[in-house]
Amino acid sequence: MRILLFIAALLVGACGAESGPALVATDIVVTRPMPGMGMSAAYLSLTNNSGRIVSITRVTSAQFESVELHESTIEDGVARMRAVPKLEIPAGATVTLQRGGKHLMLMRPTGTADTLVLHFYDGQDLILTVDATFQSDFKNPSTN
Amino acid sequence: MGPKNFIVAIILAIALATGIFVAARLQAPAALKAAFVLPAPMPLPEFALVDQDGDAVTATSFREDWHLVFFGFTHCPDICPTTLQILAAARSELAAAGEEPLPRIVLVSVDPERDTPTLIGKYVDYFGDDNLGITGDLDELRKLTSGLGIYFEKQPGDGSDYSVDHSAAVLLIDPNGEFHALFGGPHSIENYVHDIPLIMANQ
Repeated sequence: MRILLFIAALLVGACGAESGPALVATDIVVTRPMPGMGMSAAYLSLTNNSGRIVSITRVTSAQFESVELHESTIEDGVARMRAVPKLEIPAGATVTLQRGGKHLMLMRPTGTADTLVLHFYDGQDLILTVDATFQSDFKNPSTN
Repeated sequence: MGPKNFIVAIILAIALATGIFVAARLQAPAALKAAFVLPAPMPLPEFALVDQDGDAVTATSFREDWHLVFFGFTHCPDICPTTLQILAAARSELAAAGEEPLPRIVLVSVDPERDTPTLIGKYVDYFGDDNLGITGDLDELRKLTSGLGIYFEKQPGDGSDYSVDHSAAVLLIDPNGEFHALFGGPHSIENYVHDIPLIMANQ
């Protein structure tokens, strides 16, 4: 009996250690594609709670034909945007995708849904699924 | 000099010093936060482009109103909408504060290959009702940008998926149709709300 309890405790402990998601998304903002425009952008913070480096190599969404990791920069007065092949998040670290910096470029919407689902992959492994609602009304801009 | 005259002289000296100090304060322009005002406004170069309705836009089209001009493109999901949103928010705040005149927001496309008048019209309408979208012939665009020191360069891409590097600056054109001041960026609502009335008042 003691042995069984011990095994049960071990299992519970193991489950407890595995229960928290390795990657957590917060501060999710997805701008609504403008009418007639085939693209939009998504911003969020990703916190790596696992004990290893997480490398985002691919992001997909059924609501867009293509999702790419991009980075905007303004250097010497020139605005540039480039594709980023992968996004590495060290163990315990948070990486923030934000306006004017790294972001997800969402291209060619497949419909007019109010919500979208983003799937984040590390190689072949699906490591995070994020549900988001489109935001931003540019005609009534917020100062936030 | 008697004690009475001495006191009068002191009072006069203090009054004179105060007067000079106040006059100096009144004459000194308040410091701008972000804008660089050109020592002498610069006439726009000659060019012939079109607006979102297909109507001709030339150097003379910028007369009568103040214009805030940004060079970007509609297939730009991050910096361009963010900049236009900042300009629109600043204009809203200036309007709410009762400032007049209000500058008109202008997007000049550096991607005329994809930005048709209809498309740029839809795009600028998204940020407000009175915005101006300009596009047209690439050679005519270059006349405008090179004359104003604005850089842009199409980047290699996959078919119609490509980006365009471009100057991040916003230009303030005065009602004489002349390049008057430049906001180099990074752009902020606060800087525009602070600087624009000062620039207009000191014109």
